[in-house]
Amino acid sequence: MESFRQAFELLFPPDRELLQIIGVTLRMSFFSTVISCLIGLPIGALIGSKSFRGKSFINKLIHTLMGLPPVVAGLIVYSLFTHYGPLGKLNMLFTVRVMVVAQVMLITPVVIGLTSSFIESASKPVIETARGLGFSGYKTARLCIGEGRSSLFSVVLNAFGRSIAEVGAVSIVGGNIQWKTRVMTTAIMLETNKGKFSFALALGIILLIIAFIVNALASFIVKEVRDD
Amino acid sequence: MIEINNLKKCYGERTVLDIPSLTINDGEMLAVAGANGSGKTTLLKILGGIIKTSEGSFVVPEKILYMPQNSYAFHGDLIKNILIGGADRSRAFEMLDKLELTHLAKKKAKSLSGGELQRLSLCRVLSKSCDLLLLDEPTSACDATGAELVIKVVTEYKEKTGCTVIISTHSPLLAMNASERLIILNSGKIDADGSPEETLAHPGSQWAKSFVAGWKI
Repeated sequence: MESFRQAFELLFPPDRELLQIIGVTLRMSFFSTVISCLIGLPIGALIGSKSFRGKSFINKLIHTLMGLPPVVAGLIVYSLFTHYGPLGKLNMLFTVRVMVVAQVMLITPVVIGLTSSFIESASKPVIETARGLGFSGYKTARLCIGEGRSSLFSVVLNAFGRSIAEVGAVSIVGGNIQWKTRVMTTAIMLETNKGKFSFALALGIILLIIAFIVNALASFIVKEVRDD
Repeated sequence: MIEINNLKKCYGERTVLDIPSLTINDGEMLAVAGANGSGKTTLLKILGGIIKTSEGSFVVPEKILYMPQNSYAFHGDLIKNILIGGADRSRAFEMLDKLELTHLAKKKAKSLSGGELQRLSLCRVLSKSCDLLLLDEPTSACDATGAELVIKVVTEYKEKTGCTVIISTHSPLLAMNASERLIILNSGKIDADGSPEETLAHPGSQWAKSFVAGWKI
């Protein structure tokens, strides 16, 4: 109950630092989801719709990467962007941008894997029907996307959910710097380490509320799209 | 004219279709019957360009329409589902009327029963013109009345357009009443080929004899 009271106090009136943390969290999750989907959706669609030599190996590789530990992804990105790393000159370490890079590394395989599975199974009857009507590859692809829009939207939501809940990679590459790279999950971790369990739990409740609002909005959009 | 030469389709070691030679004349209405896994769908899919052959060659007309065994309902109402195929509205309504679906025109296609969906799928295909019409078990989900209606509409379409029609079927009604020629496939090979009456009276092999035995009842 103490956590719920603290969560309420943080939200009404809104705490300035909390708003900043929520802002960074949403910004990071939004951009990492968008970039991952821009990369992952076409690749997943391609893998799902084509038969080629080595497809089984690629699928195994994607499924392995889907389970990539966030800490490992964080370490890889850290070693790339650290001062002595190959991309050190970009001076991006401990910024939101590099947190997005780490998130993209984690989420893109998930987007590819889910899209490919969806296209491979659900799109088969659409492709067969479209080809039977003599449609071009482009028109068939458009039909597949149109018919699978709610499923593809679920893929996007899944990516967003992974992004907003991630802690290991973003704490390594972001550094959990106050007023700069602190996000909800790293703030929760910090407060837990400080022994402020009820405050950490309050942040967790707020994170859940944000996730719920985003999912509710998305579900509403999906319903609208489905009913179209 | 459709000409098939040494056509083979294999999945790994398994040969699912093996037709050394087959000619189908323009405007012919051909039924392909056979047990499950005999190669009916594979033959239609190859001719329709849905899947590739493993070996051999074939010549088909340019304008081909293929209706899959499993009918698919796109999002939206029945009209939208037909217009997706590229037909104009009047033609779409004409086909709905012919296949007795007009009263469902504004209904969501996803909510149709199996038989209704199959007729909708046929509406979508028959709204367009073609030289070769490939129908994969077009009456499998229909009741007797629906099946008769499908046969009537397909026959009318064929007579009107003069196209060649190949229908894969398990239905004796379709094979005997609608087609001019009946081919029986067994394990990917042609076991019998002739007019339906001829095939029924003199099936080529022992297997074809037992296959059509039930149709005589």
